[in-house]
Amino acid sequence: MGSARRTAAVLAALAAVATGLAACGSDGSGPTQASSPTELRLWHYEGPDSAMGIAWKQAISEFESSHPGVKVKFEEKSFDQIQKTAPMVLNSNDAPDIMEYNKGNATAGLLAKQGLLTDLTPEVTKRGWDKLLAPALQTTAKYDSSGTMGSGNWYGVPNYAEFVEVYYNKDMFARQGIAVPTTFAEFTAAMDKFAGAGVTPLAVGGKDYPAQQYLYQLALSKADRAWVDAYQRYTGKVNFSDTAWSYAANTFKDWVGKGYISKNSAGLDSEAMGTAFIAGKFPMMVSGTWWYGRLSNQIKKFQWGSFLWPGNTLNAGSSGNIWIVPKNSKAKQLAYDFINITMQKGVQNTLANSGGLPVAADLAGVTDPKNKELIETYQKLTQADGLAFYPDWPVPGFYDTMVSETQKLINGSAPPDKVLANLQKAYDSGVAGR
Amino acid sequence: MRAARAVRRSTRAPYPLYLIPGLLLFTLVIGVPLVMNIGISLTRWPGVGTPKWAGLANYRDLLHDEAFWASFRHNLTLIVAMAIVPTIIGLVLAYALFDFVGTRFGPRAASILRAGFYLPQVLPIVVAGIVWSWILAPDNGALNAALGKVGLGSLAQNWLGDEKTALLSVAGVMVWIQLGFPLVVFMGALQRVDPSLYEAAEIDGASWWRRFQHITVPQIRPEIFVVLLWCTIAALKVFPQIFVLTKGGPGGATNVPSYFSYQNFFETTKVGYGAAIATVLTAIIVMLTAAFIRFQGRTDDANS
Amino acid sequence: MTQTAERAVATGGGRAAAPARHGPGKRRAGAWLVLLALIVAAALVLLPFLIVTMNALKSPADYSSAGPLAPPHGLHLTALKDFWVRVHFGQKLWNSTLISGSVAICAVLVSLFTAYALGIGRVKGRAWLLVLFIMANTLPQEALIYPLYYLAKQLHMYDTRLAVIIILTAIQSAFGTYLLSSVLTAFPRELLDAAAIDGANSWQTLWRVVVPISRPTLGVLMVFFFIWTWNEFFIPLIFLVSNGNQTVSVALGVLQGQRLMDATMSNASALLGLLPALLFFLLFQRTLTRGITAGAIK
Repeated sequence: MGSARRTAAVLAALAAVATGLAACGSDGSGPTQASSPTELRLWHYEGPDSAMGIAWKQAISEFESSHPGVKVKFEEKSFDQIQKTAPMVLNSNDAPDIMEYNKGNATAGLLAKQGLLTDLTPEVTKRGWDKLLAPALQTTAKYDSSGTMGSGNWYGVPNYAEFVEVYYNKDMFARQGIAVPTTFAEFTAAMDKFAGAGVTPLAVGGKDYPAQQYLYQLALSKADRAWVDAYQRYTGKVNFSDTAWSYAANTFKDWVGKGYISKNSAGLDSEAMGTAFIAGKFPMMVSGTWWYGRLSNQIKKFQWGSFLWPGNTLNAGSSGNIWIVPKNSKAKQLAYDFINITMQKGVQNTLANSGGLPVAADLAGVTDPKNKELIETYQKLTQADGLAFYPDWPVPGFYDTMVSETQKLINGSAPPDKVLANLQKAYDSGVAGR
Repeated sequence: MRAARAVRRSTRAPYPLYLIPGLLLFTLVIGVPLVMNIGISLTRWPGVGTPKWAGLANYRDLLHDEAFWASFRHNLTLIVAMAIVPTIIGLVLAYALFDFVGTRFGPRAASILRAGFYLPQVLPIVVAGIVWSWILAPDNGALNAALGKVGLGSLAQNWLGDEKTALLSVAGVMVWIQLGFPLVVFMGALQRVDPSLYEAAEIDGASWWRRFQHITVPQIRPEIFVVLLWCTIAALKVFPQIFVLTKGGPGGATNVPSYFSYQNFFETTKVGYGAAIATVLTAIIVMLTAAFIRFQGRTDDANS
Repeated sequence: MTQTAERAVATGGGRAAAPARHGPGKRRAGAWLVLLALIVAAALVLLPFLIVTMNALKSPADYSSAGPLAPPHGLHLTALKDFWVRVHFGQKLWNSTLISGSVAICAVLVSLFTAYALGIGRVKGRAWLLVLFIMANTLPQEALIYPLYYLAKQLHMYDTRLAVIIILTAIQSAFGTYLLSSVLTAFPRELLDAAAIDGANSWQTLWRVVVPISRPTLGVLMVFFFIWTWNEFFIPLIFLVSNGNQTVSVALGVLQGQRLMDATMSNASALLGLLPALLFFLLFQRTLTRGITAGAIK
């Protein structure tokens, strides 16, 4: 190959690269807004088939019809991306005008503390959103100056709620002649009967969040609101060797020993747990209402239902993710209008009818009996002030510690008191670093 | 006279100029951030807002962090799984495909087989992780089911969920993923080998094994070094695979330094501490690399 | 003499020279056995891909009730179409191709220049320079993120594909520099001297002598860089915020919700996503198997 041809090839390659790079120069970074914005940039990370996705799509069309001349520029994000990049994005000119974000000290609390979120308190009182939200739900919407939830300014508004309950396979229960347990003793008796018949009663995912929720539910059976406040809002000293936690760890270990929880569950993630339940392999699964829609759609082989963890007033649960308005939002008024639309009966009822759990729906407008049942259970829970948030919330990264320690309980590689001691250490160092 | 002048010109060739693009890129993308990272490691910072000066506190904490040093021990197993085993298998496979299959069944057959073995490198790691967790699932996983079918059901394990088998299972998956990399590099390397060397050896009656030992391996020595070092570095940095397969569990049995660093950067948001971990990890890898390169250089000089 | 002719002589000569050890019939059978073993091994390696394909074709209900390892009951492709539209997959494919292609070309060029100086030019301190360049790949990406984010913001390059291309070129070229400089260190001196005697300067020697002979190695690098960049998800995740800029790997993340995951869709989109990378590999395989260049030495 002659040198001329070689040089030409190189130049061609460089030219191709240069054109490609030039094409990169102009890309989708945020436009600078005029003083009366004609665009509302909205991000969320709920799938289009989920209850929230459907309801929010309706909200967008309602917003556009009530705001002629304004377009909603919606971008579907991944949870993973938002979780990692939120502080960076909100600190830049690319911040959206309104965004879904996770509730809790480690997430919304942290951003609030850093001043990246708009204070929504005036809007909340003006539009009466606080009247629509139960006190337990307001906890995760308000953050104080140290980023702790429960008091301070409003920084977010939730549209939906979630809590943990027991899903059960009605056919398998009928086969063993077991009735829906209403007390904890009946609950253990039911599990015993299944175990005796060679069926593992509980579907557990030890590789991510489910196992720690079982542990938490057990602890909550011996706890009260003050205990939850101390744990979640640092209002008192937290002792992992107290009655509640010791009971929880020892009972959990007990359940593994008795075969209520499979020894293999340390290697199963929540997805595997869910699909196993849907396939009819386990009679019971304790997890959150986020499964509700999927179970309704995919369980075809048997009848199923749900009931609250027997004997507990407190259950894991909280408000759903919240709408936040970034400090750098260029269309704040439009954002508030949008939030308002999502809190009205129209969108809230759509949420209910799509298998979600709305915060302010009108029960008369809910058509599906199963969804009605879900909302009624939830209302019972909030009336008793029974939402206790989630076990990994208090300390950033506590999630991994919880997963790791519950795996040790499942595999029997560490005794309960060692596990509790590890949890104590991680909790204390995390709280000290706040 | 003219020849001498020509030779002198080539020894004054402007080779250092060729370093400019690389050095420029390096400074901008790696050098400056590295210095900034060291700076961050001397602070306490949750990733947002102003960092607080902390001096060497992060490094002191790191020295006493048992989880960190345990993660290095786990890494040793992975180095074997990701560097040594794939290199050996890759070498033998490359030779088999290139010399054996390529000559007897045509280069097409060799290419197809090579593509087959390389494919695991193309699959996105998230999906690879999902699929392997299905295969290694304790109750209905493909592996345990297959063992049952051939009557070895007693060997069935909770591969990824049992602390005793988790690390080895992850290592096995890593071999599957890594295998294609040495294979392709070595097959490319074998292209360079002068076939007349093989001719001469065959005429002398040398067996397949002796040809391999005395011609192939020495000739592609540069690539062998590169693959070994590169896979070792990859093993020391391995993270997405761990994340997808076991998330560092069960009970921390498969935690590795890079995952530990990630946790601190993005989960516990102890960015200063994460930066310290990254700095220590980099320092260790750099020392290892430097030692390896010196060794490689000395063997090169000895053999040229 | 052509390469194939040489090889024919070699194998033919070998067989003739050593008839006592293996009769042609026995060796033929042995050869087929080895081939069979290799095919079985390859099939086992590819088994997970079969599983991915099966699940890509299932409906979510089918996957949940029958399990991930059962074959699909009927083909379910509408969800895939919906996903394509939902994330503008075509645009993501274009972004990925643009970024991966640019990085592949740029990184090969940078590696070539640097390796030329280190391996053939034998500049002073090349061992330490090599360690320096390799460091680009040893630093964990998490450690680079915050500083690079800050720098990109200052240069108004946050949320641009150009930033991602520059960053990944630097990171990938570390391997290219290492591999090429190791190979070029063993480059036959006679060829370089011959070129020098012909009056070629360093630039001409590079393109007329070094590159043609190093083509297999350069081909390997192109393939690796393209595929590695294609599957990069961390740097694009952080730097490509607007959906219009995102790559396939980032788009796949949309299917992994906080608590629920769409497994069948993940498998389907992964297959779609890996096709271009696979295509690239198959295309460039030809460069890897093109005739032996050692013949040029003769």
